[in-house]
Amino acid sequence: MDKIRVLLIDDEPSFTRMLKLSLERRGRFEVRVENNGAYGLKVAQDFRPDIILLDVIMPDVDGGEIASTIREDRNLKDTPIVFLTAGVSKETTRAKGNVIGGQKYLAKPATVDEIVRCIETQLRKPGGVAPGSSAVPKN
Amino acid sequence: MDAIGADQKDPRVAASSQTLNGSGPDAEVRSRLDAVWELANDALFAISLDGTIVAWNRSAERIYGYPAQAIIGKPLSLLVPEDRRHELETTITSIARGATIEHFETIRLRSDGVPIDVSLSIAPTRDEKGRVTCALAVARDITAIKQALRQAELSSVKLSEREAMLQRALLALRKSLEETKSAQLQVVQAAKLESIGRLAAGVAHEVKNPLAVILFAIDYLAETVQTPDVNMVAALNDARDAVLRADSVIRGLLEFSTATELTVAKEDVNSVLEKALLLVRHALTKSHIFVVEEFASDLPPAMLDPTKIEQVFVNLMINAVDAMPSGGTLIIRSRREQLKEPGPDVGYRRSDRFRVGQTVIVIEIEDTGTGIDEAARARLFDPFFTTKPPGRGTGLGLAVCKSIVALHGGTIRIANREGGGGTRATVIFQSVRP
Repeated sequence: MDKIRVLLIDDEPSFTRMLKLSLERRGRFEVRVENNGAYGLKVAQDFRPDIILLDVIMPDVDGGEIASTIREDRNLKDTPIVFLTAGVSKETTRAKGNVIGGQKYLAKPATVDEIVRCIETQLRKPGGVAPGSSAVPKN
Repeated sequence: MDAIGADQKDPRVAASSQTLNGSGPDAEVRSRLDAVWELANDALFAISLDGTIVAWNRSAERIYGYPAQAIIGKPLSLLVPEDRRHELETTITSIARGATIEHFETIRLRSDGVPIDVSLSIAPTRDEKGRVTCALAVARDITAIKQALRQAELSSVKLSEREAMLQRALLALRKSLEETKSAQLQVVQAAKLESIGRLAAGVAHEVKNPLAVILFAIDYLAETVQTPDVNMVAALNDARDAVLRADSVIRGLLEFSTATELTVAKEDVNSVLEKALLLVRHALTKSHIFVVEEFASDLPPAMLDPTKIEQVFVNLMINAVDAMPSGGTLIIRSRREQLKEPGPDVGYRRSDRFRVGQTVIVIEIEDTGTGIDEAARARLFDPFFTTKPPGRGTGLGLAVCKSIVALHGGTIRIANREGGGGTRATVIFQSVRP
């Protein structure tokens, strides 16, 4: 069974290292990390993830801009994107169904279990893929 | 006026001499009287008892505009306006009886028809037998004085009007000052919230990332250590709790600072209360707390952000639960109320939060705990003040509640229940038409 390909774009190396470690330890995920937001689109085009976990506030480029460029890419436009943000509280994101401005959000700090549940939920939705399958044809 | 030659018969002098010469005074006396007649600054004229002008001096010519030749032999009524003709009869009658009139202020007409204000003094003149033969009138032109007086009266009226206007302006200014002060306080409060918001957002971003890393690391260690000893499990649990506690403080700050963002709609407050109750149901059951719901069925709707107000109610209910660790009763009431009397936040002015006569929605959340002492009650809404044991509260809950309720134009207050034995939180909202 193919692993779920997760692209993690976040400028905090310790955060991405620990999340990659924690997700990959579960055995069902293949995680690619990019700490430079400006390379986000290029890495997504190369990696063809099933889902993208995207930090909102980064020093070089804002997560919203990266999401926009990804949405314009023919091969990536249907790839689910979940924003990871330290800027809103969990209560706020939960009260709004973890959706703000039409985008899925997860408030930091989230546990690995919460992130896994979120990934699974997103991939079950139309436009997503079932866990273990591939959302887009891989090169 | 032209000078009159010695050989000419001056009608003014002749008139005076004729009039005043009845008893035949000697030349010196006559000369003095003629000088007075000539030089007097007031109009001097003589009137026969049938009201005919018989003598007229130089000042009379100047004041009334009639030359002596033109007026002598004419009736006095020429000088009297239509609406004052009655004065003539009274005057002549009085003089004929020997009375004297002094400083009678009235209006007379000049030859050109222009009215003038005069002060009249009239005395009878008598013959050698003491009989009244005619009247000698002294008329002082007081037009300028009267105009000045009228001007002064007008100025006085205008001054009074201005004073009243200034009083009104002063009152408006005072009211405006009070409103400005109130607005200033709100601006300062908003500025404080904004700066706290900026600080909180910055702190949140800088602290939440490390917290997330620590949380991942704790979970990773908990999952990977094959045979953890008891102390390691306890240490990891403590570390996780510490992370969650730090996160709750940051969360509280974020909520406190973002309390300014509302998405309001016409809502049923009872429904919001029900949803809040559902969220705390587990905590109520766990603490053996009995719930009494007294919801008004005729509650009008209110314009509010249901998520934020739910947060307020949950907060108040959790506080009530925490106040009853050994169980108790949570009483939740809703009712509509028409404000009848002025009081705190209730008045007649636009700047008052509520107006007398207004219908409001009152929500009460009561516990049967031990109540709160007075010193603590005064600080309940201060950020970071808490009566809960360490680790249980961030001290931001009620501060957030107050901010949210105030943004909705409502009020919140917390007091001990009458007779003691518990606390009552009262939230008041403005109602809207269904």
